[in-house]
Amino acid sequence: MKKSKSMMIIFLAPAVLSYLIIFLYPSVRTAFMSLFKVENITDAVSKWEYVGLQNYQGLQESSLFVQSMKNLVNIWFFGGLIVFSMALLFSVILTSGIKYKSFYRAIIYLPNVVSAVAMGTMWMQYVFSSRYGLLKGVFESLHLTTLTNIQWTSPDMIFISLLIAYCFGMIGYYMLIFMAAIENIPTSFYEAATLAGANIWQKFTKITLPLLKDVFRTNIVLWTISSVAFFIWSQVFSPLNPEPGTVTPMVYMYQMVFGNNMVVTDRNVGAGAAVGVILTLIVVAMFAITSKLLKSDEYEY
Amino acid sequence: MKGLKRLLIFLMVTMLALSGCASQNSDAGGSDDGAKVELVYWSMWNSTEPQAVALEAGIKEFMEKNPDVKVTINWNGREIRKTLQPALDNGQKIDIWDEDLERVTKNWKAYALNLEDYLKKTYDTTDGKRYEDAVMGSLIELARYFSEEDAAYAVPYQPFVFAFMYNKEHFEAANITETPKTWDEFLVACEKLKTAGYVPLTTDDAYIDTLLGYHLARYKGYEWVETLVQDKTNALWDDEAVLKTAENFEYLATQGYLSDTVGSNKWPAGQQDIAAGTVSMYLNGTWLVNEIMGSTGPDFKWGTFSYPTVEGGVDGQNAANYGSQAFQINKNCENPDVAFELLVYLTTGKWDTEIAKQSFGVPVSGTAEWPSQLNEAKSVFENLNQVYPWAAGIQADTDKLPIIAEAFTKLLSGQFTAKEFIEAMK
Repeated sequence: MKKSKSMMIIFLAPAVLSYLIIFLYPSVRTAFMSLFKVENITDAVSKWEYVGLQNYQGLQESSLFVQSMKNLVNIWFFGGLIVFSMALLFSVILTSGIKYKSFYRAIIYLPNVVSAVAMGTMWMQYVFSSRYGLLKGVFESLHLTTLTNIQWTSPDMIFISLLIAYCFGMIGYYMLIFMAAIENIPTSFYEAATLAGANIWQKFTKITLPLLKDVFRTNIVLWTISSVAFFIWSQVFSPLNPEPGTVTPMVYMYQMVFGNNMVVTDRNVGAGAAVGVILTLIVVAMFAITSKLLKSDEYEY
Repeated sequence: MKGLKRLLIFLMVTMLALSGCASQNSDAGGSDDGAKVELVYWSMWNSTEPQAVALEAGIKEFMEKNPDVKVTINWNGREIRKTLQPALDNGQKIDIWDEDLERVTKNWKAYALNLEDYLKKTYDTTDGKRYEDAVMGSLIELARYFSEEDAAYAVPYQPFVFAFMYNKEHFEAANITETPKTWDEFLVACEKLKTAGYVPLTTDDAYIDTLLGYHLARYKGYEWVETLVQDKTNALWDDEAVLKTAENFEYLATQGYLSDTVGSNKWPAGQQDIAAGTVSMYLNGTWLVNEIMGSTGPDFKWGTFSYPTVEGGVDGQNAANYGSQAFQINKNCENPDVAFELLVYLTTGKWDTEIAKQSFGVPVSGTAEWPSQLNEAKSVFENLNQVYPWAAGIQADTDKLPIIAEAFTKLLSGQFTAKEFIEAMK
């Protein structure tokens, strides 16, 4: 087949143009916008008022934004810990040759199929309810008074409740990725290890984990992106006003851009854009760090 | 490979055909049915809400009476807060829209028509009165007040007032003959309700701060409340009124006057307790009647009273947050006269009553009959002459609000004492 330059241009053009128009232009515009005070998202550029880095300074001084960043870090770290360890555990168990594997896999993955809004509402209005909640009912029947009396949606507990509900849904997704990777590891490795007298734990730490490094890197980046974009669950847990336990940068940005739900307040799309820029930088930084720490290895199998 | 090519061609042809259809549709829109005047109404309601059902019927009747007028309705729901302005900026044809009176005036005044001339005219359904005299005057005044130029840019309808909504049967069973006017009377009522076996008061996370806002405003006025929350030094939290307020609520908590789930109530858990008849009082808007009608049924005996006064306070029961939904007309509307006639048709006479009846809401014209559930709300309305902002100003700083709401939740659930609450605010 002959290579023709004009053909290459013709075939590449739609993709490149789409990328420029749909991704690059809005990104550049957002970065630019973060230096202005803009009242409405569709305001013409002539209405923008240049404020330099004031939007970023304002974010630094906003206790709510600082709180939202803390929540983001906690969701990323503790949520990541829970989701990755559970996903890894399940994937190891399910790939160990147990019966009804696909049934269990489907069950664990199921929450991903349900819309996050429906899931969140179910958790908050039913599971965590302090009147007729599932947890309350279960603990009550077990006569565990202290656990029964936990008010899951009170200010002290709401973050933990949110995290439990969110992780519950995310485990299946990462489990699938881990499972696919584990199934790719040749069984002969494990057979050889078994012959050499290795136990399950040794096989897991010496064979499975090192060979999952690449997948870990991908998963961490994916997890970072979904944590940074944490929005729907916060909105479902605090639908009308943000609260310290559930606020995330995305929620803060939303309030800055579209205004508060209950009261008519000054909007500043510029500050929202500044949040967007910060979040983008976080994702890029995390990608660079994980790529550096978990370098692609030369293992081949 | 061949299959893929065919598929691609098929997709492209379909896309072209679809885009062709779309443009044809929009071309045809202007001269449909031979109608001379076409109005486009973007609504804040979802098509299944009772307000929407009533509005749609009213608009349909208007079109029957005026055969050369065609009104197209676009049910946006509350998403209109985000969709309207970009659409207007983009020059889309939208003649009428609606949302909260304060929101439409403050956010969208620049797109709206000044209605002062129209308000001063008489119409078929205004009984020979000028429009502004035929509807609730206080709301027209409020529309002028929000515009900051003493001119109304909106037509109010579906009024509401923010007050204590309570279960009259509980009050009767507890032998409370008169609604509380002062905080002391309120406490007596709470005690009676508790003795009669009811939980006197509850709230939800969405409205919890309104209790604090109203109480502080009764002591010092809403402007002071706004200053309190906006003051970055937090010095005002040391004011005696704050301490007294905090102690008043601490007392409610320690006496067991509040629902034991008040600390974890996620809207609408608290208001469902009201509907279920387990709790007696809930500080909310008069829209509550309609909002939980599905749980209460129409026979629930509703009562309403304005937030009580406090000892040594400056504001009386004549001050409250009240407002309404409101229509606006596009300043670029080609037929503003017809558009306003439609709004008059919907907000006076038969359809004013009908919308109120179907949505268990408050009618806007003086002559319309109120739904029986809101009989007491009527006297609250008639007594009003001072308007509070939403939550009496406690939400003036949306950055500070979550912290206030969290600490106040802990105060109400008994986790914080009055002093700890104030410490948390600084």
